[in-house]
Amino acid sequence: MSQIKRLVLDVLKPHEPTNVEVASAIGDIQDVEGVNVSLYEVDQETENVKITVEGINVDYNLVRQTIENLGGVVHSVDEIIAGKKIVEEEETLHDRG
Amino acid sequence: MSFNIEEGRYVILGSIDGLLATLGIIVGVSVVSADNSIIVTAGFGGAIALALTNGLGSYLAESTIEHGKLVRAEKSLLRKLSNTYVASQSRKRIVKDAITHGGASFLASLIPLAPWVLGAGSVIASVALSLITLVFLGVYAGYISKQNYATSVAKMVGLGTLIVITVQLLRLGHFV
Repeated sequence: MSQIKRLVLDVLKPHEPTNVEVASAIGDIQDVEGVNVSLYEVDQETENVKITVEGINVDYNLVRQTIENLGGVVHSVDEIIAGKKIVEEEETLHDRG
Repeated sequence: MSFNIEEGRYVILGSIDGLLATLGIIVGVSVVSADNSIIVTAGFGGAIALALTNGLGSYLAESTIEHGKLVRAEKSLLRKLSNTYVASQSRKRIVKDAITHGGASFLASLIPLAPWVLGAGSVIASVALSLITLVFLGVYAGYISKQNYATSVAKMVGLGTLIVITVQLLRLGHFV
């Protein structure tokens, strides 16, 4: 299995713990080198965030467990980058149109 | 140990309860007897009962509110939150609030009782110590509410004085 370098997750979470606490908890996971938590939508009881995790060998299950332990739910895995080098999404003719 | 605004509420609530209810007991009992040991026993009895009822009251009230919050969050998230950090933080908050409320109530109860415990008991000393404590409590309330300190102290001492006067009036026309 090749190593995961970047994960982009769509997460629904309660207001508490805060996004700062969530980012800090994910950042503490072994082999995670950086985290970005971006707020997209705020509801009365929940908030929708996009979590980007980068590292040398990101353990998806550990990241998901941490999010779930903090009360969140992973709605979807929006982007995964794995392998020896980071490959960005290429724009196709379809995207340009 | 740092207190946030939520705990500050229980520090103020508990302290006012403990301080003034115990002062009421001291004033009331001193009408019947000037015996130090009777007043101290009655005061301690009241202090412990107040601490327990305040602590348990907070525990039950906070449990209800926190449980409701969790259930609402669970409905929105479409998942159970038991055994998560959210649930454990919620339990910690309930216990912390109960201890803060009961503890503040008990500690504040000791203030009007102190002169009697030390053997220099007088109603005037208890009233004076209670009013001084209300000044500090007013400053603390002003700090938390970001209000003018003088206004906050005046409010706290004013209400305390009103209660002391009411209790003293009851003492004048005592029914026992």
